[in-house]
Amino acid sequence: MSSPTAHSRAAIARTVGEVLAEILPGVPVSPLPEHKHLRDLGADSVDRVEVILLALDRLGIAAPLSAFTDQPDLRAMIDFLHERSTR
Amino acid sequence: MIEPSDTAVQPAAAAPRVGIEALNAYCGVASIPVPALFAGRGLDPARIDNLMMRERSVGLPCEDPVSNAVNAARPLLDALPAGELARVELLVTSTESGIDYSKSVASYVHEYLGLSRNCRLVEVKQACYAATAATQLAAGYLASAASPGAKALVIATDVSLVDERAEYAEPAMGHGAVALLLSAQPRVLTLDLGAFGAYSYETLDSARPAPTFDIADADRSLFTYLDCFSNSFRDYATRVEGADFATTFDYLAMHTPFGGMVRAAHRKLTREFARDRFHAVDEDFQRRVAPALVYPTAVGNLCSGSVYLALASVIESADPAAVAAGARVGLYSYGSGCSSEFFSGLIDGESARALGELRIAEHLSARVELGFDEYAGLLDENKRCLVPERDRDAAAGLCRPILDRYPIERDLLVYTGTKAYHRQYEWLPLNPR
Repeated sequence: MSSPTAHSRAAIARTVGEVLAEILPGVPVSPLPEHKHLRDLGADSVDRVEVILLALDRLGIAAPLSAFTDQPDLRAMIDFLHERSTR
Repeated sequence: MIEPSDTAVQPAAAAPRVGIEALNAYCGVASIPVPALFAGRGLDPARIDNLMMRERSVGLPCEDPVSNAVNAARPLLDALPAGELARVELLVTSTESGIDYSKSVASYVHEYLGLSRNCRLVEVKQACYAATAATQLAAGYLASAASPGAKALVIATDVSLVDERAEYAEPAMGHGAVALLLSAQPRVLTLDLGAFGAYSYETLDSARPAPTFDIADADRSLFTYLDCFSNSFRDYATRVEGADFATTFDYLAMHTPFGGMVRAAHRKLTREFARDRFHAVDEDFQRRVAPALVYPTAVGNLCSGSVYLALASVIESADPAAVAAGARVGLYSYGSGCSSEFFSGLIDGESARALGELRIAEHLSARVELGFDEYAGLLDENKRCLVPERDRDAAAGLCRPILDRYPIERDLLVYTGTKAYHRQYEWLPLNPR
């Protein structure tokens, strides 16, 4: 994992959208439905792990998966990634 | 393939050779195909791919944690040379299916296995991790040579309480027990003594708050399992000079709640510890991990015994020539709540010979396949399994038609009922000639 790199919130949202499109083909990601949880978009638990790990990987951010457990929607996930990237 | 002598994993200085002398799995006498369970419950069949489960074992009302444990361990003990039974000086049952707040499963198992009255016995609990804790503590005891020639019997035994409320976890739950006979004459797995990594903290990802049901937070449980794998391997790597996720282990055997979780774990650690090899992650999974899934994906989650069923699967499903040449297995044990450990050991051709004597694959194939209605008809009685009742009879009427269809000869210990809180058992010959 590379060192954390600062990203704008918009860039993080774009990366999350790209990852979603790869893991869940057919799910509309433009505009990104930030008010929804990955579960609401049809992602089972294995898909959810893959989305999170791929997003972390692309963004060069290190964070435990447990930090994502209680996030209610994509908005919270993107906010968290943004906060981590600017640390 | 690395040669054991070439490996970076060096046991503690002058450490004695200890490990698993014999291993057996008892995975029930009945099963149901996962697609049939999906269809019966109206679950989305598109999710079978990520679940990666084929069949699951199904318990009967005449089975409980005691009978499962005894049915797993008895064949190991029957195969011991005369006089060796008395050298079993420690019996540990590991279970999250306790039958009493005070009296242990081990006390019954001790009786029905005919173990010496000079044998220590105890029951341990830490969700699906506890058997590994018991194994490591027993290995340390054996290595100390406090009682030279002693053997320790660790039995991971559990029953499933899931029904339709568990949704996609229902098709992944198993039933049964794994017995490990540990000694200074390891035939199945020689432990890399001192090569381990642990990681534990408090969380409520899944639990069994009462004797009739489980609770589980799917994301918390999966995420915790995966985080703990990374952290326990990281701890292992601090203790074992040169340990490398990609090259130190010829095979990986993991606690298997469902196959897809193991695949996710392998992908996560490859990303973190072998990033330059991630382009070949699928090929690596097929080569080093898939052999560990053959039995678990046919049985379901055995809880405490799951990682050891995965070990048996490696030994009997991997390329026999590669096993015979000597191979290192990395084992990952996880229990909700949570506690985890990554450790390792060596297998070889003797491992395959020792396991082959127990005919695990033959017994799995012999399980009576149930239809959905027959399966669903067992669940209410099965949910009484751990409930303390003063007096009850096991529902023999539900068991007999299934036991009568079991195709191979074997003796089975069955639970017959409870009298004044004392559980009753008897040996039942199945398919006698």
